[in-house]
Order: sequence, then C-alpha cells, then structure tokens
Amino acid sequence: MSIKGKPIHRRGFLKTALSAGAAAIAAPTIIPSSALGLDGNVAPSERVILGGIGIGNRGTYDLGCFLDQKDVQFAAVCDVKEARRIGVKKIADGRYGNDNCAMYRDFRELLDRSDIDAVLIATGPNWHATAAMAAAKAGKDMYCEKPCTKNIEQSLILKDTMKRTGRVFQAGTQRRNLPHFAFACELARTGKLGKLTKVYAHPAGMQAMTSGWLLPETEPNKEVVDWDMYLGPAAWRPFNAKLLDGFNFEKGGGLVGGGVLEWGSHCVDLCQWAVGDCLPPVEYNAPKDGQLVAKYENGTELIFRETGWIPLGSCPVRFEGENGWVEAGDSGKIVLSSPALLAGRKVAEIENYPATFHVRDFLDCVKTRSQPKGNAEAACNAHIACHAANVALYLNRQVKFDNVKNEFVGDAEANRLRSEALREPWRL
Amino acid sequence: MPTIRQFAFTIACCAALLGLSSGITRAGDGQTPKEKELIALLRSDAAPADKAVTCKHLAVYGSVDAVPDLAKLLPNEQLSSWARIALEAIPGPEAEEALRRGSETLEGRLLVGTLNSIGVRRDALAVDLLTGRLADKDAEVASAAAVALGRVGNDGASKALRAALATSEGKTRSAVAEGLVLVAERRQSEGKGAEAAEIYDEVRKADVPKQRKIEATRGAILSRNDEGIPLLLELLASEDKAMFQLALGTIREFPGNTVDKSLAAEIAKATPERGALLIGAMADRRATVDLTAIQAATGTGPKAVRLAALAALRRVGNDGSLASLLEIALDADAELAQTAKEALAELQGDKINSAIVTLLANAKGKTHPLLLDLVAQRRIAAIDEVLKAVDNSDKAVRTAALTALGAIVDLEKLPVLIGQVVKPKFEEDLAAAQLALKTACVRMPDREACATQLATALESVPAATKTMLLETLAAVGGTKALETVGTAARSKDATMQDVASRLLGKGMTDDAAPVLLDLTKTAPGEKYQLRALRGYIRIANQFVLPIDQRMEMCRTAYAASKQPAEKKLVLEIVKRYPTLDGMKLAISASESADVKEEAKGAALVIAQKIGGKVPEIRDLLAKIDIPKVNLEIVKATYGGGATQKDVTEIVQKAATDLPMVTLANSSFNTAFGGDPIPGTAKQLKIQYKINGKSGEASFAEDALIILPMPK
Repeated sequence: MSIKGKPIHRRGFLKTALSAGAAAIAAPTIIPSSALGLDGNVAPSERVILGGIGIGNRGTYDLGCFLDQKDVQFAAVCDVKEARRIGVKKIADGRYGNDNCAMYRDFRELLDRSDIDAVLIATGPNWHATAAMAAAKAGKDMYCEKPCTKNIEQSLILKDTMKRTGRVFQAGTQRRNLPHFAFACELARTGKLGKLTKVYAHPAGMQAMTSGWLLPETEPNKEVVDWDMYLGPAAWRPFNAKLLDGFNFEKGGGLVGGGVLEWGSHCVDLCQWAVGDCLPPVEYNAPKDGQLVAKYENGTELIFRETGWIPLGSCPVRFEGENGWVEAGDSGKIVLSSPALLAGRKVAEIENYPATFHVRDFLDCVKTRSQPKGNAEAACNAHIACHAANVALYLNRQVKFDNVKNEFVGDAEANRLRSEALREPWRL
Repeated sequence: MPTIRQFAFTIACCAALLGLSSGITRAGDGQTPKEKELIALLRSDAAPADKAVTCKHLAVYGSVDAVPDLAKLLPNEQLSSWARIALEAIPGPEAEEALRRGSETLEGRLLVGTLNSIGVRRDALAVDLLTGRLADKDAEVASAAAVALGRVGNDGASKALRAALATSEGKTRSAVAEGLVLVAERRQSEGKGAEAAEIYDEVRKADVPKQRKIEATRGAILSRNDEGIPLLLELLASEDKAMFQLALGTIREFPGNTVDKSLAAEIAKATPERGALLIGAMADRRATVDLTAIQAATGTGPKAVRLAALAALRRVGNDGSLASLLEIALDADAELAQTAKEALAELQGDKINSAIVTLLANAKGKTHPLLLDLVAQRRIAAIDEVLKAVDNSDKAVRTAALTALGAIVDLEKLPVLIGQVVKPKFEEDLAAAQLALKTACVRMPDREACATQLATALESVPAATKTMLLETLAAVGGTKALETVGTAARSKDATMQDVASRLLGKGMTDDAAPVLLDLTKTAPGEKYQLRALRGYIRIANQFVLPIDQRMEMCRTAYAASKQPAEKKLVLEIVKRYPTLDGMKLAISASESADVKEEAKGAALVIAQKIGGKVPEIRDLLAKIDIPKVNLEIVKATYGGGATQKDVTEIVQKAATDLPMVTLANSSFNTAFGGDPIPGTAKQLKIQYKINGKSGEASFAEDALIILPMPK
C-alpha cells in the first residue's frame, strides 16, 4: 500500500516527565514563598478570606483549587440557586470541620462583608463583568471566570475599573499559568520563531447570534431560584428552566459570543500573550473557508480556524514566525518546527488544564499587589479581539477597529454592537 | 404570554440576523422598509417576545424614527431594558431627549435604569435633571444620578457632585464619591491635574466608605506626579494594611524615575515582611528601578528581604550582580542559595556568559559544578571547558559536565556524548550520560545525521542501553530513526520487539504509518502485528491527513483487521470523517456478521451528516437493513425567518418504522406543497419520539431526514 499526500512534518515532539519539578511549573513569583507566609502554618492575619459567587460546576472546580491552598479561608457562598448554596457550604464546612460558611442569595450582601478580601466569580457569563465591577467597587480582589465581558465597552470598563479601584483581577484563563503554553508563547514573544507572521486560535464553533425568550414556565420560589437575580443585567425574559444552564443562557438579548468568545477567551488570550499582549487586531474579515482572519497593526495575522490542528487536545494554538512555528494544546504537549527551539530546555507537560497554578498566581498577587498573568488589561485586549471578530461574523463582512478611539472605523452598524444596555438597576 | 408561534418568530429573527442577507436596512439610510416593519411591529399587539427582539434589531438598524416607539416601552417592566438597548445605541439627540423625558415620569428600578442609560450616553443636557435626582428619597435613584453625573463629567456635573458630597448621606454619598472620582479621572486625562487632585482630596477626606477613599487616594497621588511621592510614602508607613497594599499597587503605576530613590530609602525602615513586598514592587518598575538598593539588600538584613532582593535580581539584575549572586549561590542556607541560582540562570547582561566561561577555567570545589550548571541553564557554548570536566575526579563535577554537554553539544561533538553512553569511563555516570544524550539528540537540527550516529551506536551496546537508544531515536524521528526502530521491531530479540513496536504505536508523526503497516504483516508474532495495526489505525484517526489518504488508510486497516475490535475502530473513523468512500466501506462492512450493527450505525451517521450534499448516499443507504423502531412524529415545521409552515401531517404520513423519513419528493418545497419563503434559507424542524423517547432535530433544505436516536 502506498500513502498518498505529503507527510506532515511535526518534529520535536517533546515529552518531559512531570518530574521536571514543581518549581518549573509554578509561575515565577516575585516574592519567595517564605516572604508570603507560605512556608509553614499560615497565620490568620495572612490568610486570604474568600467568598464565592455563583458556584456551579466550574466554580466548584475552581473552589477546590482555592481550598487546596493553605493560605485561603473560604467564608461565604452566594448563589441564586438554593441547592448550590447548600452544596458549596457542605464542601467548605466539610473541609474545615465547622459550620461557618455563610450563604447568601444576593451577592451584594456578601460584598458588604468587610472581612472578605477576595471573591471567586463563577456565575454564568451574563453576570461576570457586572459582578466583577461590583466586587471591585466593594474593595474585593477577584478571580473571575471567562468570558469576562459581554462586549467591547465592558472590556474597556473592566480594565479601567480595576485600575481605578486598585484591585487585583485574575481572569479564569488558567492556561497562562501552564508551562507548555507559557513556553510556546515565550518562543513567539521573544523572537525565537523569527518575525511573527501568524497566530492561530481555535474558536470551536464560529457563529454569532442574538438571543430571545423561551416559553414561560412557572417561576420557582425565590429562595429556591431567584430568577430576577439570575437574569441580573440581562434584558428581561420569563422564567424557563432551560435557561438556568449558564451556557444556554444567551447573554441578555444581545450579540451572543458562540465559540469565538467561549473558547476565544482562552485561545485568543494565548495568542495575545504570544504577540506580547499588545493592543488587539485592527482589522477583522468575514469568515471564509472555515477561517476568520484578523490583522494586527504590525501585519501579524490572528486566524480563527476550526480545523487543521495537530491532535494536541482542546484549545489548540499555533504560532508561526519567519523562522519556525510551535503548536500546543490541552494534552500538555507542544510540537515545534525544529527541536533547536527547545534549546535543551525541559517543559513540563501538564494535561487537563488545571487551574491550580493560576489560582496560586492570583493569591500571590493579592499579597504582593503585582499583576497576575490573567490581569484585567490582558483580559481586556483578548476579549476585545473576540468581540470584534464576533461583530465581523455577525455582520458577515470586514470591520476595522481603532484602538485609540476604541471604535470601529467609519462603521455605524459595528459601533452599535460595541455595547449594550444593562437591565435595571444594574450598571458597571 | 408568548405562544409557540411567537417564540418561533423570535428564533426566526435571530436566525435572520445571522447572515444579514435578506435586505436588512443599513444604519444611516433613514427609515427604510425594514425599519418600518420593525416599528410597525412595536406598534402592533405582537407578543412581548417579538417586541423584545425587535428592539435589538433597532439597536443596530434603527434610526431616530424608531425613537418615539421605543420610548413608549420605557415604563414597561418587561420591555424597558430591551428598549434601552436600542435607545443607548441609536445616535442623535432624539434618543437622549427620549431618555430624559422618560425619566420624568418613571420611578423605582425603571427610573434607575433610565438614569443609567443617560449616564452611558454622557448626556450633557441632563445635568440639571440628574442634579435634581441627587436629592431623591430613593437612594438607588440618587446613586444612579450621581454615577451618571460622574460619567457626564462636565463642569456642571462636577459642581453638583462636589456640593452633594457634603450634603448626601450613606449609600448616596458613596455613589457621589464614585461619580467624583470619574470626574477627577477625566480632568486628569484633560491635563488638568491640579483640579483632579483637588477633587480627589475632597473625596479622600470625606466621610465615605474605605474603598472610595482608596480610589481617591490613588488618584491624589498619581495626579500630582512627583509631588505625590510624600503621600505615597505616607501610605507605605501606614498601619492600615489596605493603605499599604494601595501603596504597593500605586508604586507600579507611578510615572517618572524620581520615586525610585525615595522607595529605596524605605526598605530599611520597613518591617521584613513589608520590605520584601516593597522590593517586589520596586522591581516591577524595570525601567527605572534602583538596582543598587536591591543589590545591597541581597547581602545583609532579614532573610525575607534578602530572598525578595535575590528574586528581584532574577528579573532586573545585570553584569554587576554576578559576583554577589555566585557567592550567595554557595551559601549554607539552602533557600538563599537556590534563589540565587535561579537568579543566575536568568540574569541579563552582555558580559555574564563570558565571565562564567573565564571563571570556569580555574574553577575549584563547589564553584566548579555551579558554573557548569550555569553553562547548561544558560546554554553557553563552552564545549572545551565542559569536555575537560567530563573526566574530572569529582562525581558532582562530572555529572554537571554531562548535563551541560547535553545542553550545548553540537552534531560534531555528539560522538563524545554517545561514547559516554556506550562505554562510560565511570559506570556511575551512565544515567546522567543517557539523559544528556537524549536532551542533546531531540534538539539536533539535522535529525537524519543524528539518527545515523545513534543507529550505529545501537549495534554495539548492551540490551538495556539499546532500549534507551531506541527511545531516543523515536523522540528524534525522521526516516533513519523510523527505519531503525522498525528494524528493531522485526528483530529476534523479544525486548526489542516490544520496545520498538510500542514506540512506533505512540509516535506523533504520520510518517510512521508505512512502517506500522509493514509490521502488521512482518512483525514477529500476532501480538506485535496487532499492536502495529492499532498504531496504524490511530494515525488514520488522529492526524491531519488529506481525505483520500485517510480513507485509503481506513480501507487498508479494515482489510488487515482480523478481529471485530479493530474493524469497529475503523468504522468509528469513517463516522468521524464522513465521506462517500467511508459510506461505501460501512455498507460493505454491514455484510460482515461480527460488525454488522456497528457498520449500519456508521452508515446512518454518515448519511445524516452528508446525505443532503451527496446524492449517491441515498442509494447506498437503501442497501442496508436499518433496525426498526417505534417512530412518532410530534410536530414538524418548515420555513425560514418568521415564515414557518406546519408540515406535521405530511411528515407523519411519510414516517415508517425506521428512524428516518422519506418524503414523497426529495425536494422539500415540492413535498411540502411549495416554497414557503422564496429566496431564504429554510429548515425543517421535527419534534419526534423514538421508542417513547423525545427528540428534536433540524434539517437543511432537501437534506436526508435521518432522526438521531434520543438520549
């Protein structure tokens, strides 16, 4: 038998044992752990008192990562769903062997507690930006799941608010704290691939749409599910149980992100890191042949594509320069155009994209007041790239974005999609 | 309440917006027919669901003509927020006037929402209105007005908020402070730093919540530039943890370079814990950091401060940091030593590498392995010095030298490293040599030359080393490496057969496919032939391949499969990558008793995925005996956009006891009695039950109607 077609050269598949060491895995910290009070038992005064807002499936996973940190004390949970409140309290109390975890239906009551330093925000995407802004104004640092914003304007306000309030913000983009992704981005960012020409992101479902109402159903008792709080900043619609799944809940009557936002907030975020966290692309083209091509100011292309990936697991990214390329995915593996790029370095392979290191990065920054990897500015730029790509998808044509004025160039239609009113009484 | 029909309209509107291919009005064209239709819907007795989505359409395509009808929805509890989506977006003073007017009669939450929208639009004409609302007895309303004034941010807004800071209370005062911080921020961006500082001072000195004070204090420092340094230092000394933390954050934002000297002077005054955090903040100011102070802090003082200073040097140190770091890297305190080593590995500076090589020439004692470690970590081309150290009498030196060799050796000197593996001078160095060889080989640019050297070595090493060399060859990859590993898989040595076939099956390159295919016939023993087949199937399944190549691999793999398990794996691939060729393979496989059901399932899935686009699929499907089910059609609609035709009865009549529906005509338009909406993409939506379980599916126009089994 003969095999037709040109073989694909994927050299230098790098397999390095986890034994490369935790030191290599952890993000570089500015302050040694002993200075952060992590080398022994943590005094109560040095613990970060944490509250949780909207702790469902993802939130419970994140919470587990926080509970594993010895300098964290989880004190309170807020959820509009009673069952979740009770479930999370059980987890926290079980861990501490007490009955201290307080439960709230309205997150504003949790934010009013002066003893809480930081919050984990893992609501549905509809709430992320609004809750994050409220937390910042209440003086809390926060780890906020992605996608963090619903539109371009929210992304900009998020960045400004975190700066203004002096809060530490970590987007739930945990791949920034995984060594193989970090290495791939470093190769691109530091010129090891030569002049960067293309960065690729996998949107996993490239479509934009608007959302509406589902058929009304009998609204449950507020204590069981607080529908009004669940809707929050989203335009009003009647209760329907299907909408209680955050991923079914299509974000407030406006433009819905689809895979470009849901996955882009991870893989576009990595592309942004690869290009040095510069301002987002300035040109976004209509999708063609399964690809949407955007261009940065310097000509580098950001390409959203559905297929053509080396099988390295979900959330693949690929960076191409004039002298080489690198591809990485959630399997923890990276593939290089040349082993010379490895330059003898060992890169730990960590699969299943754990958030542990990202959580640790956040907690360290809460103490040092430095900027974590998924800081608000980085998140803002990555989210704008996703939102602008979505606008191009929605309008099915090219749009151009001015990063100084933060508006689409001469494009009234696109500019009207930059933001969206929030339902009363919410504001950013 | 909305009905099914109304809901369908909503979904249709969403779908219509997807491609915008149906003559949607472009903004700025005035009231075009599309906008007229949308406005007409708002004026009609249409259900709220329809009006809601219409508002969103108008947000993109509405003009001032839509404003009056949108404004009428502001008092509507269900639709007010939808109307504001449009009113916030439509350009021109008309929308702003509508919001102002709306606020005159609204109260409670709806009023709050409208004031929020006024703020978003930064409506300068609303200052009087908003100022009046500052005194509203509803604190939510007053707070919304305060923040809206902050967003408007003109002189009138500023004046109103500054006055209200003294007179307002509680929650409202906090919002007034929030508004004033927004105003001050704008003044700062306009180059009016003095005015900004004045406002910030008013807020931070007012009786407002601590977070407002934090925001104002940050602004008060930054708006003053260097004159803000004393306040920054005051915070650094504050007993209040929050204020100290604010200082740490503000240090990182502070402009200019004057502040760096001031910060350096604070290290000694701070507690060790705070000193460490201060050094971290100072080092984040990479462009202007006072390196002398940080370097001094590495040598003396509390350990926490020394550690922080060492960690800082890792990021901001330079040539001048080398000597002290080398000394501390050999400190008796392991934590200090390790932190210094980490700093040395990444230390930036033009002369550092050459200095390390110079020191290496006369290195003695513990300094020798330390310098070799640095050669490895920094990948310094010091091959001669490293080769000398490979024969050193001290094992620690030899181990460090071998590691360094792995990091820096080139193809020309690779035989030296291979020699250390094949015939180690000291047996105890073998593990280090093997690791170094693997490290070196996987980074060799010329992998064929590298593999040739390894293949030659393979002939003369003991069995245990052979395994290691095979693993290294597999990691290197390429023609020579594959050929060598393939030969080992066919050898008479059972260990080699096992190791080599396992390595080939786990490879990450598709060029292993021909070797694996050959091994399905030539490997010694059924076990390794099967392993090779599975490896071959894995490549067909997982790798990016041209369609023809993948299908040819599937046919070959199916033909080579003797057991149902492998045949089923192949059928999974044709399901995953549906093609006509895959369908043919599945149909053919359905005649095989051991995979009959799996093959039929694969054929159905392929037909469902591509049946509408590939006419031959329909004929092929007729060749298989599809399992019978109890099918009930609950509802079926056909159409596009808002136009949906109920075709339940037609679909019910066409339903049989198969999980598919064959209409009287393959053209949906013909089968359903005409095109319900010419020129628009249509879909057939079917709600159904199979064996009592409910399912729902949508089909593009003229697609094959194969109903997925409900879960």
